Amino acid sequence: MASQFSGVLQLTDLDDFITPSQACIKPVKLEKKPGKSLAKIQIEDDGSYFQVNQDGGLQKLEKAKITLNDCLACSGCITSAESVLIAQQSQDELYKVLHRNKSSAEQIVVVVSVSPQSRASLAAHFGLSTSDATSKLTAFFKNIGVHHVFDTGFSRAFSLLESQKEFVERYQRKEQDKKALPMLTSACPGWICYAEKTHGDFILPYISTTRSPQQVMGSLVKGYFAEQQNLTPKQIYHVTVMPCFDKKLEASRTDFIMKDTDTREVDCVITSGEVLKMLEQEGLSLNDVDPAPLDTLFSSVNGDELLRHAGSSSGGYLHHVYAHAAKQLFGVEVNDITYKTLKNKDFQEVTLEKDGTVFLRFAAAYGFRNIQNLVQKLKRGKSPYDFVEVMACPSGCVNGGGQLKPLPEKSNKELLQQVEDLYNAENTRLPEEEDRVTHLYRTWLHNVGEERARELLHTRYHGVEKVSNGLTVKW
Amino acid sequence: MKDTLNILHKFSAHPDSRCWYVAWNPKGTLLASCGGDRAIRLWAREGDSWECRFVLPEGHQRTIRKLAWSPCGNYLASASFDATTCIWGKKGDDFECLTVLEGHENEVKCVSWAPSGSLLATCSRDKSVWVWEVDEEDEYECVSVVNAHTQDVKHVVWHPTQELLASASYDNTVRLYKEEDDDWVCKATLEGHTATVWSLAFDPSGQRLASCSDDRTVKVWKECQPEDEQGEGSASTDPEWKCVCTLSGFHSRAVYDIAWCRQTGLLATACADDGVRIFNEDANSNPHQTIFSLSVHVPKAHNQDVNCVAWHPKEAGILASCSDDGEIAIWSYHSEA
Repeated sequence: MASQFSGVLQLTDLDDFITPSQACIKPVKLEKKPGKSLAKIQIEDDGSYFQVNQDGGLQKLEKAKITLNDCLACSGCITSAESVLIAQQSQDELYKVLHRNKSSAEQIVVVVSVSPQSRASLAAHFGLSTSDATSKLTAFFKNIGVHHVFDTGFSRAFSLLESQKEFVERYQRKEQDKKALPMLTSACPGWICYAEKTHGDFILPYISTTRSPQQVMGSLVKGYFAEQQNLTPKQIYHVTVMPCFDKKLEASRTDFIMKDTDTREVDCVITSGEVLKMLEQEGLSLNDVDPAPLDTLFSSVNGDELLRHAGSSSGGYLHHVYAHAAKQLFGVEVNDITYKTLKNKDFQEVTLEKDGTVFLRFAAAYGFRNIQNLVQKLKRGKSPYDFVEVMACPSGCVNGGGQLKPLPEKSNKELLQQVEDLYNAENTRLPEEEDRVTHLYRTWLHNVGEERARELLHTRYHGVEKVSNGLTVKW
Repeated sequence: MKDTLNILHKFSAHPDSRCWYVAWNPKGTLLASCGGDRAIRLWAREGDSWECRFVLPEGHQRTIRKLAWSPCGNYLASASFDATTCIWGKKGDDFECLTVLEGHENEVKCVSWAPSGSLLATCSRDKSVWVWEVDEEDEYECVSVVNAHTQDVKHVVWHPTQELLASASYDNTVRLYKEEDDDWVCKATLEGHTATVWSLAFDPSGQRLASCSDDRTVKVWKECQPEDEQGEGSASTDPEWKCVCTLSGFHSRAVYDIAWCRQTGLLATACADDGVRIFNEDANSNPHQTIFSLSVHVPKAHNQDVNCVAWHPKEAGILASCSDDGEIAIWSYHSEA
C-alpha cells in the first residue's frame, strides 16, 4: 500500500534493510522483569506467547504494544505508524461512537469540524458551491447522528490573530534573540514532524508557537463549548475533517491531550477522502442530500454564506501577518500583495519596500524541495526572510494527501485548479472583524487568565533525539 | 580473432580498505579514487608509474562511495555514507571543499553532473533522487526530490547530451526522469532485472543504456520513439525504452559496474567474481536485437571483488578498475580483429 502521508513525512528516515519493527526502539524500552536470564517461550496457535517456567508452569507474556505516540517520539520509521493511525483514527471509529449512542442510554455529543480545504474538495467533486456542499454535508452528518457541524475557518481566525501578534513580538526582540526571525508557520503537521525529527533544536525556535486551526478548534470544543453545554470533555467526541493525513499525527500529540481528563482535544481526524467513503458506504451522493442550515456557533459565515480568509488557500498566514506587520511596525496600509515567483511556483516572495529599502521580506515555501533549500539557507546564515509560510505539500493544503482524487476524465492539475477556484470564490473577512472571535477573546479567554489563554492558543515542539541502538547501527 | 586486455599498472590506492570507485577527469590527466578509508586521492601518470598527486583533506565522516568530475573538470563531487555530498574545487595548488550538500536522510550512494554542468543529481538509501542546480556563485539549490523508487537507489547517471537522468535501485528497476512544469518526474520504469541494479552507462550517442545487476546479467535498453514499429503505437509522445539485449551466462557473480567506451563502443564490466570483462558489439546486429560478444575475460583481474571500471575519456582502449583489495589497475585493450 502506498503511503498516504505527505512526501516530507515519507522521506524521514525510511529504511530498506531494517524493517520498521526491527528499527523500532520501543521493544528496547520495555521494562525488564527481574528473573533468570534463560527462558523458554512457547507460542500458542492463537499467536499468544507463554513463558515456560522451570516448574513447567505457563506465564502469559505481555504483547509489546506500540501506540501512535511511541511512533511519534521515535526517530525511527514513520510507516509503521500508519497501521496504528488507521486503527485509532478513521471513519470506522466515528461510526462506532454513533452506533454506541444509538444503543446506549449514555450519550456522547458528537462534533464534526470541517476544514475550508475539505469543503472545497468535496464541492469540486460534486459540482457544488462550497456553501451548498457544506450545508449538505451538515445534513449528512446530522442524519447519521452527529450533533454539531462546525467550520475550522472559524478557529483559524484565532490562529491568524495569534500569528500576527507573535510576529510583531518576535520582530521587536530580533536584536536580542537571534532565533526570533524568520518566524516559520506551524499549521502544517507534516512540516512540524519533519522539523522535529530531522532538524530538532536548530530549527524549532524559529517555528511559531501558535496552534493550528484544528487544535484551536480542539480548545474551543473541549473547553468553551463543553463548559457552555455543561459537559465534561470526555462527553464530547470531536472529529475534524481535514485535507491531510498528517493531521492525524497532529491530533495525537501529547501536547493536545487534556491532562486532567485524559482526553484528546481532537479525538479523531478523517480526511476529505474518508468523508467520500462514508457517503459511499451510505449509498449517497452529496447532491441527493437535502441541505440543512449551517451551525453558526463556530462557523465563519455571513447568513448562509461561508466566508474565508484572504491570501493563500493554505490559510493565508503570510497575507495576514504581512499586512498586520506592515501596519503595526511601519505604518504602511497594505491593500494589494504582490507575490513574486522565485525558483518555482511553490516558492514565492513578498517584500515591503520604502524608498528602495526593504523593511520586510516574507516567503511562502511549499513542498519538500523548497523546505530543504530554506533549512539549508538558514543553516548557512543566508536566509533573508523575516517570515515564511511553510507547507509540506506542493501547492499547499488544497493539494493535501487526504483530498479527493480526480475522476478518471480529469487531470490532477485541473482538479487542483477547480478546488483552488472554489476555495477562492468565498468572500473574505478579516479575522479582526469576526465579532464572535472578538467576543470570545473578551469573555472566555479573558476569564481563564493570560497563562491559560496562552496554553489554549499556543503549543510547544520537541526535538527528537536520534537514537542509536545495536539493531539500528548501519555501517 | 584474439583480443587482449593487458595490465599496464597496478597499485595500492587505499591500503587496508576498499577502493570503491575511480573517475577520470574530462581531459584524462587525473584519476580520482575513493574508498572505505574516507579518503579521496588523485592519481597521475609519471613516466612509467602512477603517483598520488593530491590527497583531498578529510571531508566526510564515513565511507566515500562514488565520485564525479564536473564536465569542465574544475570540480569534483563526492558521495558519502555520511549522508552528504561534497563539492571540491581547486584553490591554488590544492583542492578544497567548497560546499557540502545536505538533505539526504542517510547514505548517499552516487552523484552525477549533467552535461551542462549546471545540474547535479544525487541518490541515496533513503530511496530518493535529488536534482540540484548550481548558480553562477557556486550556490547549490535543490530543484527536485523524486521518490519514484521503492528501495535504496544505487546509481544515477545523466544522458551524455540531454537533460535526461537515469537511476538504478535495489528495487530491481531502472528509472528515467525529465523536467516537466518546473519539477522532475519519472518518465519511464525499466523492468527486467531480477535483483539489485548496481550501475548504468549510456552509449556515446545516448540512444542506449546499459544496466548491470546482482542477477549476474547485463541488459542493454534502447530508446524507441512511439512511432517506431517496436514502440507498439502507444498514445504518449514519450519515448519508450525496450530491452534489446541481455548478456547472461558470462558473469558468475553480481555485476557491480559497467562502462561504455566513448571512442570504441566497447562495454566493460566489473564483477564480484574478481573478473573484468570486455564486450564487443557485432557490427551487423539488428538494432532491435543487438548482439554483444565477450571479447576478453580477465578472471583474476583483482584479488577481490571488482567495484568499478572506467574507460579513459581520450585514449581509446585504456581502462581503469578498482577493487575491494584497495588496488587500482590500469589496463590496455587490443583487438586483433
